Amino acid sequence: MSLVIENLSKKYTKEKFGLQNYSITIEKGILGLLGPNGAGKSTLMKIIATISQPTSGSLTLDGHDLVKEPNYIRKVLGYLPQDFGVYPNLNAYEFLEYIAAMKGVGGPSLKARIEMLLEGVNLIEVAKRPIGTYSGGMKQRIGIAQALLNDPKVLIFDEPTVGLDPEERVRFRNLISDLAHDCIIILSSHIVSDIETIADEVAIMKGGLLITKGSQHDVIKKVEGKVFETLIDNSLLDEFKRTNHVVNTIRQKDKTRVRYISDQPVAESTSYQASLEDAYLFLTKATA
Amino acid sequence: MKHLITIIKGDYLQRTRSYAFLVTLAITLYMAYTFVPPVDANYTTVRIGNYVGDYNSAWIGHVTAMMTSVFLTLIGFFLINNSVKKDVETEVGMIIATTRVSNFKYLMSKVLSNFLVLLSIVSIVLFMSILVFFLRSKDFPFEITQFILPYVVVTLPSMFFVSCVAVVAEVFLGRRSVIQYILFFALFNIVMANVQMKQGTEMLTYFDPFGVKVVTLQMEDFVNAHYREEVSVASMGFVFSDEKNDLKMFVFEGIHWPFLFIVSRLAWMAFGVALVLGASRYFHRFDVKEKMRVQKKPKMIESIQTHALAKELKISSLPPITVNYGILPFIKTEVLMLFRKGPRWFWIINLGLMIALAFTPLTIAHQFLLPVLWFLQIGRLSDLVTKEKTYQVHYFTYAAYQPLKRLLPSQIIAGISLMLVLSVPLLLRYAFALQWLPMVGIVLGAIFIVLFSSTLGIVSGGKKLFEILFFAITYSNLNRIPVADYYGSMWTSLLPIAILISLTLSFVCISWVIRSYEIKHA
Repeated sequence: MSLVIENLSKKYTKEKFGLQNYSITIEKGILGLLGPNGAGKSTLMKIIATISQPTSGSLTLDGHDLVKEPNYIRKVLGYLPQDFGVYPNLNAYEFLEYIAAMKGVGGPSLKARIEMLLEGVNLIEVAKRPIGTYSGGMKQRIGIAQALLNDPKVLIFDEPTVGLDPEERVRFRNLISDLAHDCIIILSSHIVSDIETIADEVAIMKGGLLITKGSQHDVIKKVEGKVFETLIDNSLLDEFKRTNHVVNTIRQKDKTRVRYISDQPVAESTSYQASLEDAYLFLTKATA
Repeated sequence: MKHLITIIKGDYLQRTRSYAFLVTLAITLYMAYTFVPPVDANYTTVRIGNYVGDYNSAWIGHVTAMMTSVFLTLIGFFLINNSVKKDVETEVGMIIATTRVSNFKYLMSKVLSNFLVLLSIVSIVLFMSILVFFLRSKDFPFEITQFILPYVVVTLPSMFFVSCVAVVAEVFLGRRSVIQYILFFALFNIVMANVQMKQGTEMLTYFDPFGVKVVTLQMEDFVNAHYREEVSVASMGFVFSDEKNDLKMFVFEGIHWPFLFIVSRLAWMAFGVALVLGASRYFHRFDVKEKMRVQKKPKMIESIQTHALAKELKISSLPPITVNYGILPFIKTEVLMLFRKGPRWFWIINLGLMIALAFTPLTIAHQFLLPVLWFLQIGRLSDLVTKEKTYQVHYFTYAAYQPLKRLLPSQIIAGISLMLVLSVPLLLRYAFALQWLPMVGIVLGAIFIVLFSSTLGIVSGGKKLFEILFFAITYSNLNRIPVADYYGSMWTSLLPIAILISLTLSFVCISWVIRSYEIKHA
């Protein structure tokens, strides 16, 4: 199974692009999309989910043009949008039944499947209550359950961990790791650690452009040997930030511990192992 | 004060930049044009016994001001009765609640922005009425005061009062819009009964929030004095009749505005403010959800959750799926959602009206009860095809398999089924009486109104536009205006069937094309 995107662009106005000449090939496994707000992550995901059309470029799944044949992917798609809602008067069970009908899933095993999914996302006890009474995290879990209803082969999760508590986040990661053997999973997040722990490949985006794509190791390699930490006076912090690529700061009484990326470290700096977050911050700032 | 003006301005701009506003404006303009019927038209608007005024400035100015006062109150209420609700839905209210603005000031800012919205429409109608004068009047001079004064004294206080009533209704019945509509409709009809009452006294003019009674009384006095008549009844509204040849013309010269009447107009405005002041004591100040939770669910769901032990989900252990691309499960859920919408006790009213459909005389059942019963479903029909966007479920539905061919038809079928089920007693009576034309009318009417709601919902992206028009249509139905009869209560030929089918097919096409575009550009 292969999702091929070639020179994909989404133009909103004459000068405003959601995506610009975006090309990427996505195979089975988990692809983590990283990028600041407005990078085009949701735009890309909406286009793959066929609810938005590109202005130009092509998008194929196993050779099938998804712009012309959107139903080809819809049959095998599980999609969790960023800002989704629910029908407040339906309970979790009825809502999943409704989504199952949309996805063309029925038959005698549907009830058991829904119950197992609800158990899996820890909602079985409140399954008969109207969703309107659920908290944000519980609605997010309903969203995750609906994405898995149809045995999807392409899974798109746009900021899936928003609203989940730490325990639920771990459960979610385990769940999609389990799915990754057989599916294409595209996952976007602002939280680098979410991507870091599960993604096979990482794509970093900014301003509608693909900055880099590769395995985590390849991406981290771009800043390897360039990550340092040092302690500086608080009064010198602003000046230091102006002249160096600072990725993190921790205040300590009169001084601040600064983590920065540079080819030429300042005196009394210690070299550190680069992380995906370092690479992400460096790459997205470097292209500013 | 500066902050208040900013709130009013923001609110005003928010609402005037909507389809519903533009459409209401267009409808009002069209109505303003029809307020002064052409000489050969088969209807009258204001009529004093058998007399109507010649088309001079006084007649056109007063008639259009009166008609605007009455009809814009009716339609305008629907346009403006969601200003607080909008702040609840968008959660802007939560921010407002944390500021120093008092409940009264906040509610008054809503009243004033409501008033500004209506004022904008009134200004354009006034301009239109002047245009109509130049189109229809031949030998009379143009007198601007005969236009300005009635609008200022009659129309504007009415608009202000309805602006207050809309806000008060939102405070007490914010979540129950259908009950708001019913109460407002009842209130409107009580006031209209006073306006239309025979042998009115001067005292009654003070109790008329529309401010039209004083004009009709003076018109009656004028006709009686100048033409030696004993006219005691003035009619207002679109009255259709083929006996227009019997009408006599009189030259209306305008009215003298009694001082006490002008005071009463100010008193109505003050009464409106007093109502808002009273309501501000009960205003929820956007603590809506919390109140609901505390009242209905003392046990917080989240706390149950934390004690639950979750099983690890293994996708490979899930039962295999069976493919089913039918639309029956959709229809089932859509019907379920229609049924659950609104308070449950409302079904008792529906049931009561259905029983009444079975036992009242056929004419009353068909002409009056059926449109009322159908109108009570306004909340169910108005977001039939837009609820997925309102609740942001459209990201799921539009990414589903063949959403256009499966979801939209099932929503429409569910809506039509609801309307037909409600009409069953009447349909059965006609079937037993072998009267096929009214039966066809009811079935076509159900299809038409559901498609009408779907199309307006899809075109405007909301429910307001349909609500305004459905209310106007139902009001016209109850006043037996033939052109508004979409459910065959007055049909005598097959022509309305052809018109209705054509309109319905156009609605299908429009809905289909726009929804198809929406699915590709969510």
